[in-house]
Amino acid sequence: MRKFFRDFSRDPVALVFGLILLGIYIVAITAQWIAPGDPFETNLRNGMQPPSWEHWFGTDQFGRDVLSRVILATQVTARLTTLAILFAVVLGVPIGMMVGYHGGLADAIVMRITDIMLIFPMIMLAIVIVVIAGPSERGVIIALGLSQLPEMIRISRGVTLSLKEELYVEAAVAAGARWPWILRRHVWPNISTPIIVQATLTLPVFVLNASALSYLGLGVQPPTPEWGQMLNEAKDFLINAPYLIIGPSVALFLFVLSANLVGDALQETLNPRTKSRRITRRFYRVSRKSALS
Amino acid sequence: MPRLILSRLVFMVLAGFLLLSFLFALFHMIPGDPARLMAGDNAPEELVQSIRRAYGFDQPLHVQYLSYMQRVLMGDFGVSNYTRQPVLEVVLPRIGNTAALAGCAMLFAMTVSLILGSFSAMFWGGPVDKGVTAFSLVGICTPVFVTGIIGIYLFGVYLRWLPIGGMSSWQHFILPVLTLGAYQAAMFTRMVRSCMVDALGRDFITTARAKGAPERRVVFHHALRNALLPIITLFGLGVGHTLGGSVVTETIFNWPGLGRLMVDSILTRDLPVMQGAIFFFAMIFILVNLLVDILYTWADPRVSYD
Repeated sequence: MRKFFRDFSRDPVALVFGLILLGIYIVAITAQWIAPGDPFETNLRNGMQPPSWEHWFGTDQFGRDVLSRVILATQVTARLTTLAILFAVVLGVPIGMMVGYHGGLADAIVMRITDIMLIFPMIMLAIVIVVIAGPSERGVIIALGLSQLPEMIRISRGVTLSLKEELYVEAAVAAGARWPWILRRHVWPNISTPIIVQATLTLPVFVLNASALSYLGLGVQPPTPEWGQMLNEAKDFLINAPYLIIGPSVALFLFVLSANLVGDALQETLNPRTKSRRITRRFYRVSRKSALS
Repeated sequence: MPRLILSRLVFMVLAGFLLLSFLFALFHMIPGDPARLMAGDNAPEELVQSIRRAYGFDQPLHVQYLSYMQRVLMGDFGVSNYTRQPVLEVVLPRIGNTAALAGCAMLFAMTVSLILGSFSAMFWGGPVDKGVTAFSLVGICTPVFVTGIIGIYLFGVYLRWLPIGGMSSWQHFILPVLTLGAYQAAMFTRMVRSCMVDALGRDFITTARAKGAPERRVVFHHALRNALLPIITLFGLGVGHTLGGSVVTETIFNWPGLGRLMVDSILTRDLPVMQGAIFFFAMIFILVNLLVDILYTWADPRVSYD
């Protein structure tokens, strides 16, 4: 662990953007307290004010303070993406470990299903989920989580398959340990690192896709603020109030950029690979998952 | 090769069949009464009843399923709830519009990334390389709708150079194609650069340089040719990605394409159009995947899909 922090802090870019990412999450957690105004309070007489000391990013068509809305949207995005990643991990890792350990027909069926899921772009899945669940935060969480599920299953299955051959697992089997114990005690500790790396690499993709869905009107619904949805509203007032797009765009860009750089650095520290291979893997991942943005 | 194509076509038919069944199930999973949806919220109960009978919603599920499949096989996807136009007539022209947008964006992205990526690898570690890398990092971190809105503001509202919606002239293509293409270009550039850096590190490059070949020839002749194979795969994957990105781009620029049709039909709950749009979008995606596979075996005969 100490070695990890040392490696990580040696890369100044990763360190700076790691701190920015940390800052974003602190903002997300404390959103209710640090927002300068009420993100929902409308004040029509105060509508469409350009940025000023009182309202850093101006006010929107209903007179709501854009800065407060951007801050609350940070919380919404952080919550959405965290829950979606948890969804994929909690559902995918046990399935992957079990089919990897037992093999056989269930393994074959699960792998074929993940193959089929990987053919379709994320947007197809998201749209179908939204049709069933209705445009909502819950719909976005399920859609994002499901889109990452095949990847989680594949990773945990792969690691489990290779661990099955290890001597200590064989010893545990010989000692009479049952499979749930083996999976929890011997397999899970080895899976956690690749899963954490995968989750970090997924984060920027999830942020982009969550806001893209909300931009389309299929995600987070007003009045709850979300960056993509705020941009969709701001687009109608480009002529009179172009400053409305500043807040949400900058926040979105900063979150995605820092999450990307931290994910790269984390992968390099935790499982070093040659650089070119890393980028190739990234591309495959991105091209399948972020077909939306 | 013919066997590959045949097996992939069988797969396509199978996938289409599964997809239709899935869409049928979807139709029945959606909360709410489809007949009521068609009639509208304030319609009298008798009208809802007659629609239910006319569309066979009162029949048992398997009868409905069979008749649905039968109708679809005859090319009848039903009519739109709002315009009463046959779904096929609404969807088919949209496919061409989406293909035009995605095709132009792909061409743009491929050209830009090949040039930038090669130069970046040529001056590996230098200022050009750093600049290109930073540009592509910024590119992949900026979602299409942010680029699009900034483009609309800059060129449509502030400078008033370009139209910002619709597709009636060639000028209408510029902003959407650049918006969608820039994101792809950023992503491709990273890939092309890493492929080229990889290729430039090989032994045959040292040989070429030792023979005294000019640097331009080494990079664009020896290295690029050998890097082309992985690049083709990446471009192939990128086609699907571009199609996905076109959904957002079409919504921003009011482009009459398949993606916007899909989103609009969901927002207005126009179920028949939604089914048709989702079906064709997914089938195009499967078709593109098939073409990429074939292109790949053609480009590298060592790859076989047996």
